[in-house]
Amino acid sequence: MSLLDALLLTALGTLIATLATVRTRWVGYVASLGLGLQLLVLFLLAPLGYGAPAVTSGLAWDLFGQPLVLRYDAMSWYFALITLGAGLVSSVYATGAWSDHYRAAGRSPGWLQFALALNVFTMLLLLASGDFLSLFIAWELVSWASFLLMALAAGPALKWSLRYITYATAGAMSMLAALGIVFHLTGSLNYADFMAAVDQWSVGLITLLTVLFGAGFAVKMGILPFHLWQAGAYAETPGPGMAFLGAISSRMGLYGMMLVWVQLIGLIRLIEVHIPLTFLSLRDVLMWIAAFTIILPTYTALKQNDARRLLAWHGIGQGGYMLMGILSASALGSAGGILHIFNYATNQAVLLLAVFAVVYRTGTADLNKLGGLFTRMPLTFVAMLVGIIGLAGIPPMNGFVSKWMVYRSLLSEGMPLLFVASVIGTLGTILSVYKLIHNTFLGQLRLEHEPVQEAPWSMVIPMMVLALIIFLTGFMPGIVLDWVAAVQAAVGLPVLPHTLGGVADAHGGLDMIMLVLVLFAGFGVSALLFYATGRSEPVHQLDNYAGGHFLSADVRYHYSDHFYAGLMHRIGHWYRGSFLWFESVVASLASFLAQWSATFYRLMQPALPMLAMAVIVLWMVS
Amino acid sequence: MNLIALVVALPLLGAFLLPVGARSVGWVGRLLGPALLLLTSLVVIVLWRDSGGVPSHIELGGFQPPLGITFYLDQLALVFALATSLLALLLWPHAAWRDARVAALMLLMVSAASGMALSGDLFNLYVFYELVSVASFGLVAAPKTGAALAATLRYVIISGMGTVMALTGIALIYTQTGTLNLAHLTLLSATTLDNTLGLTAFVLILLGIGVKAELFPVNIWVPEVYATASQRVSALLAGLISKLAIIVIIRLLVLLFPQPEALTLLLVIGALGVLLGELAAWHAKDFERMLAFSSIGQLGLVLMAFSIPGQAGLFAGLAVAMHHLIVKPALFVLAERWSGGFAGLAGAGWKSPWAAGLFILFALSLIGVPPLPGFWAKLMTLLGLLGQDNWIYWTGAGIILLATVFEANYLFRFGLGLFKAGSESRSAKVPVHDAGSLGPSLILGAVLLIATVMITPVGNWLAGVADQLADRELYVTTVLGAGRELP
Repeated sequence: MSLLDALLLTALGTLIATLATVRTRWVGYVASLGLGLQLLVLFLLAPLGYGAPAVTSGLAWDLFGQPLVLRYDAMSWYFALITLGAGLVSSVYATGAWSDHYRAAGRSPGWLQFALALNVFTMLLLLASGDFLSLFIAWELVSWASFLLMALAAGPALKWSLRYITYATAGAMSMLAALGIVFHLTGSLNYADFMAAVDQWSVGLITLLTVLFGAGFAVKMGILPFHLWQAGAYAETPGPGMAFLGAISSRMGLYGMMLVWVQLIGLIRLIEVHIPLTFLSLRDVLMWIAAFTIILPTYTALKQNDARRLLAWHGIGQGGYMLMGILSASALGSAGGILHIFNYATNQAVLLLAVFAVVYRTGTADLNKLGGLFTRMPLTFVAMLVGIIGLAGIPPMNGFVSKWMVYRSLLSEGMPLLFVASVIGTLGTILSVYKLIHNTFLGQLRLEHEPVQEAPWSMVIPMMVLALIIFLTGFMPGIVLDWVAAVQAAVGLPVLPHTLGGVADAHGGLDMIMLVLVLFAGFGVSALLFYATGRSEPVHQLDNYAGGHFLSADVRYHYSDHFYAGLMHRIGHWYRGSFLWFESVVASLASFLAQWSATFYRLMQPALPMLAMAVIVLWMVS
Repeated sequence: MNLIALVVALPLLGAFLLPVGARSVGWVGRLLGPALLLLTSLVVIVLWRDSGGVPSHIELGGFQPPLGITFYLDQLALVFALATSLLALLLWPHAAWRDARVAALMLLMVSAASGMALSGDLFNLYVFYELVSVASFGLVAAPKTGAALAATLRYVIISGMGTVMALTGIALIYTQTGTLNLAHLTLLSATTLDNTLGLTAFVLILLGIGVKAELFPVNIWVPEVYATASQRVSALLAGLISKLAIIVIIRLLVLLFPQPEALTLLLVIGALGVLLGELAAWHAKDFERMLAFSSIGQLGLVLMAFSIPGQAGLFAGLAVAMHHLIVKPALFVLAERWSGGFAGLAGAGWKSPWAAGLFILFALSLIGVPPLPGFWAKLMTLLGLLGQDNWIYWTGAGIILLATVFEANYLFRFGLGLFKAGSESRSAKVPVHDAGSLGPSLILGAVLLIATVMITPVGNWLAGVADQLADRELYVTTVLGAGRELP
């Protein structure tokens, strides 16, 4: 029995233990303990993260002559670390005060914990898949596990989870077609046989397989044009569940793309595929899709007035950075893309946990009904501040490092247009995260929120831990870059030379330790100036005046709605809802065909078509 | 071995005695049917154990083939004879036992269905097929509502046309060969049926028997009948009788018609069935019609699986057919309490969580979510279709994949709708499932889960059954004795 078996069995055990205690009050502790144990076993597997050879499970078995292989390599370990980290944080958050609140609303925290444990288990299984059949099986399990998590809340969540599962089934069927073609061509579903055969295949075949596999993964990632389900489905998921989904669940699609596009097919083949009538290669097309995935959803996020939706739309956009970085195929760019998976997971998790802490205390995530909570929930404010600095890609947080690496590689690889596209995306991010923190924490406090207190410790501690990780991995990105380099080596990308402080490069590397120290020295000087020379007098938050007039607390002057009016005046008419329109066209077409099919079964003269059919068939055979 | 005749004879006898007996002694009507079915199931199990998986045959009345009435007992025939008895037992209309006529018709249908599974010549096959039809007319019309009678009339007309076609096909075969014994026909088929006339005969039989197998386009009767008949009867027709009809068609195809065009025809008809069935199911607005259209789609899938050349196709086809045999009756039984439009069922899942859980289990398997058996059946079918170097087969695979998306959507639109917050006054009217109404579905669900765990032995056994089905030599030597080699 290998450590991998131990990991999978612990995950299965957690699942069973959670199910056994699903109706009790300690289900949260059971689930958190189980996830903690899994993380511990994963730490025992840590050599994988530094490039040790892959570990194979002893649990492999044959099904209809097809061996199912389970194995972990550096990439599996890296994704598993983020999965278990996000799972543990969400599970702890969902235990204690939050679960009492959830139970009081008539919901079952037990099933939420079970769904979380199920998601973690299926994802660990997916990361272990060592052939196409186990990949597909685990992929379907992951899809349906996240469907369960999304549908748990009932109400409007039912509609969105149905939309998700429809998209996900379409994606899975596309993968199944690819799997069938691979089986037809190689006679097996092994990765090794695939890699051996891929050299002889024609350009058309490689394009077909890239697209068919990619469509399946793209649905999960929310890559354009398959992104319409994601924001709504995530936003309706109960708090910690959404934090987990937002942080890592979508990235399983990226795992699939890295596995199939990068490791098995090889980026070099995608670069060689030339799209007729254009000057683009298949890789360029995919990168442009990634660029649009950055821009369009990010600017859709800008218009959201619900904090959950704002962040969910962002999640779609950030996936584009990761994909773009990895597709750039350079050591720096791909390291940036892979690093961004970790960084973004921490940022998104802390932001969502902070938002749900606010929801816990105020009962709403509506950005027009909040404001001024800074003094009421200072720790949550700090957590969100750290999160938005990271998400916007500003030093000293970790998001800066990965975005810098992606930008830098786009410039040095000679892709200035893509660089511009990603900068436009980042602009949208900065604008919308500012809207988020401003409308929630800054500005005027609403009267009804005056008694609001800081979130309970069971929720604050996970946020603080995440905030600390965000800062630490921004200060010393080398910790994560070690794992990233091992992932690069495992999938056959060039490996990035790095130091503890960042990137080692003769033409201008990045040393975050130096940068952060300088930054903090600057902060220190300003603080000194502020406290030494300035005089400040603390007043009550509701005691305000403007233009010489007192403003009483019942007058609303917190500017929140239609937040970027000036910008929207310029770009507002570019929002067309084209994807929604296209989706409705497909649905209408299907509906028309369905109606027609149903009509066939309502014919008044059933015998006539039957006779006609008989005549036609007989005429055809004779 | 001659014990097998009891499987046909006992229910037939019961069907005639039951109305008389029930008039004089009350409990006869209640107990005779289930007791007989239990007995016939035991008979089949004993025979199966004794046969050790080796096919055998019997001649009724002692006439040597090809003259006498022949029953051919391979694993496929036995498993369907057993499934007939067990499923009828499981779906026995206890609620309607006072009406001895329903029970009598059920027994008649069981008898004829077993006969169809076992029969070794075309003539008896036709007779049993007709008996099944007649019994099903009565069962379908039993609710005596206007809608049920109208649906039955439609069903009778189409069945009648089908009968004429099948009979014409059989007559064509007889004029060509002068025999109706299947083993004998197998010997002669290479010289006499491998031509246009043979293919014509196949097409006529396919469309004729295809009426019961819910094949496009002779399945126009299906939705109305399933929506108006009692759910248990629909369960039997959709689950069992349709599969029997397909198995008969496939046996004839394997033994008599080697033409590749026949397979292409199966593929095209199957694909149209899948496409129209699943689309119409997506459009359906009530539970029974949704199940009826879904059943049309699934039978199209069975046909497409059988259209794959060679043993792989028979294996995939049997897998899909057996899977549907378990799943669809269970779903129809759930519809007993949940009949009618979707809107009226909002919130029903909260009141009957077990029923909702079972629905979701069966829906997942129908869609083909691993590791449930439905996934393996669909996977085998798709790998088989994509394994052919032929664009028609690839198109067929594409249609299955597309239809699965619709399938997932409508099944889960319904499944999630069960958990919608309905209005109070409405959801108070939704009937709650109890142990009695859940029983058959629970048992079938357990079977499905056991098959999930034991998927490798089940798969290997099914492959063995498919091997026997594919072995024409074995059929001929078993029935006619050694030395009669295929040309």
